[in-house]
Amino acid sequence: MEVSRRTFIKTTLIGGAGVSVFGFSLAPVYAQTQGLKIARTTETRSTCPYCSVSCGVIIHTLGDKAKNAIPQVVHVEGDPDHPINRGTLCPKGASLEQDIVNDRRLLNPQVRRPGSDHWEDISWDVAVNEIAVWTKKTRDETFIDKDKSGYTVNRLETIGWIGGCTDTNELNFLAVKTMRSLGVCYFETQARV
Amino acid sequence: MTEWWDKQIQRADHLAPKANGSKELLEFYAQLLRAQKNIYEFLRGHKHWLPSGDLEHDLPVVVNALPGFLRVVESCGPASLAAEAADLSQADPQVLAERLMMYWGNASDIQFFEKAALQPYLRWVADSGARPVGREAAVGERFCPFCGGSPQVSFLQNKETTAESGNRDLICATCLSSWEFRRVVCANCGEERPAKLGYFHSPEFDHVRIEACDTCKHYIKGVDLTRAGFAAPIVDEIDAAPLDLWAREHGYAKIELNLVGV
Repeated sequence: MEVSRRTFIKTTLIGGAGVSVFGFSLAPVYAQTQGLKIARTTETRSTCPYCSVSCGVIIHTLGDKAKNAIPQVVHVEGDPDHPINRGTLCPKGASLEQDIVNDRRLLNPQVRRPGSDHWEDISWDVAVNEIAVWTKKTRDETFIDKDKSGYTVNRLETIGWIGGCTDTNELNFLAVKTMRSLGVCYFETQARV
Repeated sequence: MTEWWDKQIQRADHLAPKANGSKELLEFYAQLLRAQKNIYEFLRGHKHWLPSGDLEHDLPVVVNALPGFLRVVESCGPASLAAEAADLSQADPQVLAERLMMYWGNASDIQFFEKAALQPYLRWVADSGARPVGREAAVGERFCPFCGGSPQVSFLQNKETTAESGNRDLICATCLSSWEFRRVVCANCGEERPAKLGYFHSPEFDHVRIEACDTCKHYIKGVDLTRAGFAAPIVDEIDAAPLDLWAREHGYAKIELNLVGV
């Protein structure tokens, strides 16, 4: 009788213990299996956001795919299959994990008042309100509608904008629209990837 | 190339005394590796002969290399393998030759004797510059480009001197050659979606992991040589046999069984 691989394996590995396909006792192996602490990770290929080189990275995420569990990044490494960096990363890219998981990461807005020597936590509502007030006040006082030659320029030279490398396309789009509508000339989104 | 066999043997000898559940498996595998090395050396040392790559043509020499291998299995193997080895030792060499030819045409990982006997032959075919002839070899990135065999184990190894990440290679179960294979891809079905690919680790086997696919429900074990550069993937894979049972309990099937049948 022809025995398929599937049938053969099934008949020799029933219940985890038993014997291997070639007749080895698997009882001691099974006993060790019971004590294993198994963790599942996922590897996701992505692109380093820091500069325009666009190195490939692999992000290792810990999590068993349980419904209410939040996956946690546990490691970031260069993607060895990526044609640009072939597994290598610069020191900044190599620290990418700390950009994601970092207990020193700011979770609330902070402000350093004029004359103060320290930063203080403020609420999101206060931060948004203060930004709006100061932006309007600064723009009202310093907006330039015509230059010395009388040409219409509609520019605001007293406010600048610096974006971050991890800002999303959507945030950068809104930033450009907002800054352009205010007349801001000095802005940089760092959207290079 | 004999150094390659020596490295595997030394690794098996090193791991066996310290092994927990897989001690018996490693002790047998160490003896099997010695027998395979003897086959390889017999073929390599055969005067005025080089393998053609056509097993049918090379069979008379190959079969002559096997009595010592059968004796080792008979003396060290589990009861079922030992009995079969004894039968084959007594049988007409033509019986063994026919079994080898059947495996050559249609390889299966549940054919212990054929797989174990032909691994050193195919290694010598590769080392001597020949190529397998007369096999209907599967083609595709997940099959060995030399002989068309399925992958036994994967391993990560630094190939760029400045890289910390490991490139992934697969080791062929049929000829023990290795070939480059992409990371984050199932070695069985080619699945690339990260959510479908699970990597299972255990602190007990720090440098070995299960690389499983939820699409085809198959897995392969991966040995990370960037963590343990002295490891020998095909040996460490056997040492980590408890991970195989865990994977099976969780519904995954191994792409290719190893020579201890797990």
